[in-house]
Amino acid sequence: MNLMAQILINVIIAFLAGSLLLGFHRKVMARVQLRPGPPIIQYLLHSLKFFFKETTFPKTASIPFYIGITVILAIIWVTGVIVGPVTKGSLMILFGIYAIHKIVEHNAGSSSGSPYGKLSCVRAVFSAAGELPLFAVIAVIFLLTGTMDISGIIAYQSIHGPLFFQLPLAVLMFFTLIVTKSPYSPFAITKGKEIISGFETEHFGMLRGYIMFSESIAWYILLWIFLTIFFGPISVVGYLIGMIVICIITGFINATTPMLNPNHSVMTQISIAVICTVGSIIMIII
Amino acid sequence: MLIENLGGNLMGTIPLGDIVLYLNSLHIFLFVTILVFTALIAISRTETQVEAMFGSLDENKVSVGKKEFKQRRFLAIICGIATAGAMITGDLFNFTLFMALIGIVNIGIVSAVKHVDVLNSAYQYGLIAMMCGLPLFGGAAMILAATGTLSLFELAAIPASPMMIFGALVMLIGVCGESGIAPFFASKAEMFRTPGSPFILIIHLSSLFIIVRFVEILLIIL
Repeated sequence: MNLMAQILINVIIAFLAGSLLLGFHRKVMARVQLRPGPPIIQYLLHSLKFFFKETTFPKTASIPFYIGITVILAIIWVTGVIVGPVTKGSLMILFGIYAIHKIVEHNAGSSSGSPYGKLSCVRAVFSAAGELPLFAVIAVIFLLTGTMDISGIIAYQSIHGPLFFQLPLAVLMFFTLIVTKSPYSPFAITKGKEIISGFETEHFGMLRGYIMFSESIAWYILLWIFLTIFFGPISVVGYLIGMIVICIITGFINATTPMLNPNHSVMTQISIAVICTVGSIIMIII
Repeated sequence: MLIENLGGNLMGTIPLGDIVLYLNSLHIFLFVTILVFTALIAISRTETQVEAMFGSLDENKVSVGKKEFKQRRFLAIICGIATAGAMITGDLFNFTLFMALIGIVNIGIVSAVKHVDVLNSAYQYGLIAMMCGLPLFGGAAMILAATGTLSLFELAAIPASPMMIFGALVMLIGVCGESGIAPFFASKAEMFRTPGSPFILIIHLSSLFIIVRFVEILLIIL
């Protein structure tokens, strides 16, 4: 198939699947908390709605960054789709994309002039530690497989079996990252309710639409990477079941766990990353 | 270990004696992104921080003055260019130089701010960055002593010896301190409270990108 067509189809799939999975995640959380919750399609409708609402810009904002940062967010996640499901390229580039996502949280928060956004911006600096498990996971996988290419990792697993059983501590680390990135997570300090919506508080209309579009794709790509690098070549049905199961598990965790304070959040993630990395390296050596 | 296994297919090399500049998908992605951000910084104006005052209906507005704006914008652009250089360099010594320059410029970006907490934070970060200069350059020197080269292209072809691994780990400590990431970020976080969103963005961006690039370098050496 033509590369452009592949990219377009995969971006649409990532957006639709990501939105529905986020809606499902919210439904699971609501049911655990004995609430009916919004319909599963609600997140998708919200995302589309924002593209048609009036866009306003605060007088105090740092223009053009205030606008440009949301467009950059959308572009990097389309790049994520190209590097991930379309070309199965290097995990290092996806690591770079997560670094830029952190920068977007930082700048979207600080560029508006709002104190809520500013607090979220400062917390984004702290929570950069949340990327440590991702770095540790890809380093451990590289030490075992000798490649960062997703296609190479899939090929390795088709010969040696899923990495899920060979690197259980790396799985735990990556799952911590998934919990960190999931909505209403105990680690989601940049979007704590005491700072309204954190870095998104002052972005309205189409700009919020871009952010929600990107978050859907980001959630889909995160689950796709997890299933691909730990379970190897799996079918579309396998991906679907895997993504739904992860949403149920993270939904249970987030529905029953209060948000940690920034220091505890960061130290928990660093501790998990250090323990699991050392454990994984020992397991590879043995 | 093949260098292509890390950042994608090799797109070209520029041999300059023993130093070989090389480009792959990862380098191009990081290089282009940092240049886009640097261009946006060059044309952006700063935000005005607005907070409600306690006990009255007034607002407290904090903005960046014109002279301070010009100084900080200049340093932010230099930081962006230094980070872009660190993304595409094929030489370990050049990488350490870019890293040291980024550390110095980061302190400069916030040192013009007249805010005690921010200046205290910049001072603490400066101390850590200065101390970590030793392991940064020392680690590179150990690798040079063990292999006779600092070209990443050459290092990729040399099997890792204990001294190379030790040098790389020492360098890791230096990079963590210079870029102010975990566990050193506590000294740096207060720096981000200052107004001047585009300028403080480059401080965070340069740290994260340096770490991404150093992960690649670390895996090349190991």
